[in-house]
Amino acid sequence: MVRDADFPPGWTYNPSSWPQRIPLVALAVVGFVMAAYLALYQVHVIPSVWEPFFGDGSVVILNSPVSRALPVSDAALGAFGYIADALAGIFGSTRRWKTMPWLVILFGIFVGPLGGVSVLLVILQPVLYDSWCTICLATAVISVVMIGPAMDEVLASLQHLQRERRAGRSVWRAFWGLPETTHQMPALARR
Amino acid sequence: MWPHLLCTAIGAWLMAAPQVLSYGEPARTNDHIVGPLLFTFGCTAMFQSVRGVRWVNVPIGAWLVAAPLFLGYRGNAMVNDIVAGFSTIILASIRGEIRQQFGGGWRILLQSRRR
Repeated sequence: MVRDADFPPGWTYNPSSWPQRIPLVALAVVGFVMAAYLALYQVHVIPSVWEPFFGDGSVVILNSPVSRALPVSDAALGAFGYIADALAGIFGSTRRWKTMPWLVILFGIFVGPLGGVSVLLVILQPVLYDSWCTICLATAVISVVMIGPAMDEVLASLQHLQRERRAGRSVWRAFWGLPETTHQMPALARR
Repeated sequence: MWPHLLCTAIGAWLMAAPQVLSYGEPARTNDHIVGPLLFTFGCTAMFQSVRGVRWVNVPIGAWLVAAPLFLGYRGNAMVNDIVAGFSTIILASIRGEIRQQFGGGWRILLQSRRR
């Protein structure tokens, strides 16, 4: 087998290769460190927060009702999100678009909505509180930058599932990366 | 890629513009909402496999051009938003180079099976 066998059919590269995935995992780790720092401030482990540009902006934002709307603070939730991104990005081989579609799609779900929530929080900062928070903005940039490069792998997995369905095989088994059963009926009934 | 990088920059500028050019409501809130959206879709559209996301920025740019009329503001804010809006419409309409191939892309997922 040549290396090109890892490319999805009709693709000029492999979206599950390490050069495609490592930068995303690295971004998620940086995002985690920043979010964890903010979360530690929110639970008063750290007494003050670094804010070079916007005066008491970070203090206002990080103590706002929105940031405490849920049982866990928004930064703590963000930190969990970045951990989820990093784990879902690192696991699996360089053929995982084909062998583990469930993980690739889960990765896409973590990256996409987390990015969306970050953008929403950025919009709320000036609109509701007339303030900005530097590190919050930095984490949001990280979340947004991750969306585009994460989606190609999701596309490859979805195309793989579509091919399996068209070949009359079980999408369910393909989704979980299970081997084809020998005596399986063509999956006409599944649609 | 570069037209969408510029859209991203316009989005970032809109977040800062109310303070830099010192204009107030309602343009201020409008730009604080539109800026992050432009930034997000521009930044995402930079990547080849999801280049189609650029089209989302066209109606957003159109809203920027129309907003002074609908929300009733003038001066710096109006000029800024109209220039930013037209620039966005033009830039988002440019596809830019796509070197990679993606097995038919997202579109193929919506196609029904050919017989």
